[in-house]
Amino acid sequence: MPKIDRSAAATAAQCRHYAMCKIDYLATGLCPSGPEKHFVTYYPQGRMDLYRGLAEGRVPVTEALLDAADTCTLCGICDGQCHFVTGMQPTSVMRALKDAVEEHRREKGEIVRPAEDETLRRLRAIVGRDWASNDPAVLWTYADDPFPLAGPQLPLYVVLPGSRDEVAAIVRLANERDLPYAVRGNGGSVFGFVFTDGIVLDMNRMRGIEIDLPNFCAAAEPGVTSFELQQEAFRHGLRINAAEPAATVCGNIVCTGTFSTWSNVYGTAADNFIDMEFVGRDGRVFRLNDKAAPNHFAFEHRVAPSPGICTKAFVKLHPTTADEEGLLVPFEGFDEAVRFARELGQRRIGLAVAVLGAHYIAGFLSPDETLAQDLKAALPEALGVNYMVFLTGDSHAREAVRKMSPAVIDADLLRTLMLGLPKLVEPQWLELVRGYQGQERPYELLCRPEMRPLVEAALQPSPETASSCVPETLRPLYRELYRRPEMTDMVWLNMHRIVSARMSRRKHMFAFLVYLPPDNPAVIHEILDGFAGVARSHGIDHDFGFLTPMDLGKRAILEYDYYVDHTDPAEREKIARALPELDPWLDRLAERVPGVMSLKYVFSQGCSRKDGFLYRV
Amino acid sequence: MMRIGAEELQERRAAGLSRVLITGGTGFLGSHIAAALLKAGCRVTILARSSKRLPARDRVGRLADWFGLEPAARERLTVAEGDILDPGWVVEAMNGTPALGRVDEIVHCASDTSFSERKRPEVEAANIGGLRNVLDLAARSACSFFHHVSTAFVAGARDGLCREEWVESGPFTNVYEETKARGEIQARDICRREGIRLSVYRPSIVYGDSRTGRTLRFNALYYPVKAAVLLRDIYASDIRERGGAKAAAMGVRTDPDGRVHLPIRIEVGPQGGLNLVPIDHCVEVFMALREECLGGGIFHIANSRPKRIEDIVGYAERYFGIRGIEACGAEAFETRPRNALERLYDSHLEAYRPYMQDLRTYEIRNSAPALAKRGLACPEFNEDVFRRCMAFAVEAGWGTRLFPA
Repeated sequence: MPKIDRSAAATAAQCRHYAMCKIDYLATGLCPSGPEKHFVTYYPQGRMDLYRGLAEGRVPVTEALLDAADTCTLCGICDGQCHFVTGMQPTSVMRALKDAVEEHRREKGEIVRPAEDETLRRLRAIVGRDWASNDPAVLWTYADDPFPLAGPQLPLYVVLPGSRDEVAAIVRLANERDLPYAVRGNGGSVFGFVFTDGIVLDMNRMRGIEIDLPNFCAAAEPGVTSFELQQEAFRHGLRINAAEPAATVCGNIVCTGTFSTWSNVYGTAADNFIDMEFVGRDGRVFRLNDKAAPNHFAFEHRVAPSPGICTKAFVKLHPTTADEEGLLVPFEGFDEAVRFARELGQRRIGLAVAVLGAHYIAGFLSPDETLAQDLKAALPEALGVNYMVFLTGDSHAREAVRKMSPAVIDADLLRTLMLGLPKLVEPQWLELVRGYQGQERPYELLCRPEMRPLVEAALQPSPETASSCVPETLRPLYRELYRRPEMTDMVWLNMHRIVSARMSRRKHMFAFLVYLPPDNPAVIHEILDGFAGVARSHGIDHDFGFLTPMDLGKRAILEYDYYVDHTDPAEREKIARALPELDPWLDRLAERVPGVMSLKYVFSQGCSRKDGFLYRV
Repeated sequence: MMRIGAEELQERRAAGLSRVLITGGTGFLGSHIAAALLKAGCRVTILARSSKRLPARDRVGRLADWFGLEPAARERLTVAEGDILDPGWVVEAMNGTPALGRVDEIVHCASDTSFSERKRPEVEAANIGGLRNVLDLAARSACSFFHHVSTAFVAGARDGLCREEWVESGPFTNVYEETKARGEIQARDICRREGIRLSVYRPSIVYGDSRTGRTLRFNALYYPVKAAVLLRDIYASDIRERGGAKAAAMGVRTDPDGRVHLPIRIEVGPQGGLNLVPIDHCVEVFMALREECLGGGIFHIANSRPKRIEDIVGYAERYFGIRGIEACGAEAFETRPRNALERLYDSHLEAYRPYMQDLRTYEIRNSAPALAKRGLACPEFNEDVFRRCMAFAVEAGWGTRLFPA
């Protein structure tokens, strides 16, 4: 076994499988081998797993492992991509992998070359020789996720279909040979739902997007990610209701119904699409809008299987206006923030709406975790901000919001704050704000338009200031990023959601999502207290995530997060003990209170009408 | 009828049997009083809360280091963890919180000093509810003497001589004054009912040590100076490093001698000034009164020579290399409204304004014999004292470098 660099192995083990290295979300280009080879094995995420597998003695040196190591050019693109959301720099792991491979070759170590069996031969007959594998190194990169309560489970084969018909043929073959199969949209799942000891279908080759402007429709194949489809929609001046950027559009709709802050106006589940194409469990192709198709628009109040493998989603495109901008409305208390957000929903003001806690705000804004922690502490303590209502809207909506709440952080002020963030949390500045005794709240003072020149003088907002908090080697990249207007534009950032993965920068995140009635503060607090209580009793880091009103403020979706170091056995044990307590409690609450529903029940029923799970008649 | 006679009180104190519980013992005045009592040989229990970063014991330990307490003094110190805002704490304390032990005297320094009306719930919780809990403890314990640290500003919004007597009603300048006045009455009523001796200490604005400049808090006197220095630094850096466009827009410039011209007008009245007492004097007076005035009473701890704002502006300008700060009458703002810099500065001064042109004078009669006996007089706040205090403030990063990380 090659010599292992323990520091690189520790970095490798921290990979969150967010697959942000598989989308060109910073416009810095992609890892060169990824788009050519398509297997996740050839992306930085796969190489992180390979090195972890080597370090743990779980993966042998195989032909594919050598190839994955050799095709890494050490270009450093992944350092920027990964650091932007996780704070990690994978190049050290890539280098360690290449060193290990070189050493193995020098010492003429064994190279595993698995033989082709009948199933693999037939899979290759369907998809082509290059797109099916039983190489143990490839299999390993599809065997595990950071979700600490499932896996690893090694599949027998990984196959990358190139078309709907190939998907159907694979399903028929699997049925014929009695092999289970699982679909991994972008080659990973943070919930660990996609393991199998049979065939893994990675949809990375099916990346077609067709924009149908007259029908406001974008047809996306199952390898298309939310970021890529949003980017394409954006080029046409349109927008989709997008999920996490690296999540595939098809996979996310089927799995969760795709909810976001934009669900305030665009809805969720069946609201998101015009039609969906599936390969059913019997290998037959159907569309949801077919009269004869199974009725997946109806919601069942139980954990139900998915309709099959989605091979195309006909996603709704929404028009935009040129005057859209973001606003943040600060609040001291949670209830008043929720009331405000619900009122926006009821009055149909704005587009994306969410109540965010200091934890999310700080994480979203800060390119560095230490800075995020400082800001998280400073927001409530110095500025008196515990929550903010985030909103995007046209000029009319923003005017209405300003009338409702004069103290707002508008697009310009947010840009100033983002570009001057390291200065904002400097101790002498915070000390001064802390000591402020005036009648206004400190944030109200900060939001006053006449204070803007002074705030600018104090924070020195610039790409240079903003990037001063990241490691020196990455500063040129961050300076370049911060020169781009979209990197400080709340509308663009929220549409493309590229900063939301920062929430799990410190630790792996368990996101719990609950639909609830936002006009019932007692129930909301019961839910918050319930999550907090279970977390506290098990010593788990936890925090409120966000709350977004839906369906004209009659319902909302709330996220509460637990944070666990998935590489620490003690932390894994804690979450394993905590999770079983949550479901029965939430089920009881759902039975008692109309409108309360854990997202768990929507999983795999994301094509259903939202009315089926938001209301129960 | 007092719970304990004066003679017995003195005997217990002399024999080292008397234990003093201090609330707010990690605060500015409370910690100084605790240190003075310990240095004087008293047995002291400090009631403290844990902070997010430090347990109560460590917070107190850090202060003991700052005061340079000798090992013998530290042996007389006990730390009891508790929160006066928690009504359950009193019950718990009475049921035998081991660290609390016997309570013979209480020095109540814990207070919320926020002036802002928006903080009313917190201020009332601390200055009324918290005090009530401590008085409950006094009533249910062996406490024979309650030392209540209040403020000279319970006198409220008025001019002229303020007497050392109970203030039954307002008007008050802010919620702090109001709750402190209500607290005094609360303490009076309960102590009378329970036969507990009561001294009420009413300091005016307390700043650092007049001899060394050392302090633990950088509010009140320090805050406006700190704000001006921060503005100086912001614009000096803009001029030095970024061409000075933002400074120029505000009329800020660097003069040839290097001093920064900050055009800020501060509104002041024709009379009055700041009533400042240094912490060293404050503590000495407390110690003298505790020992000399066993019958209790109300005692102002104030300066008979208030300082004009113009003088302090001058001290600050010279010490910090600033020019352009001007104390003006209200009429100056009618002809030329405030610019953004002035509005910001003004909003920071707003809460302090009633104390910047204080027309009240504070009777010092009840403490006069004790002060005379000990030769104590409030030091004048002059430029030397200012410089000492500011040198320490700068060295301590206005509090950010007070304790090693």
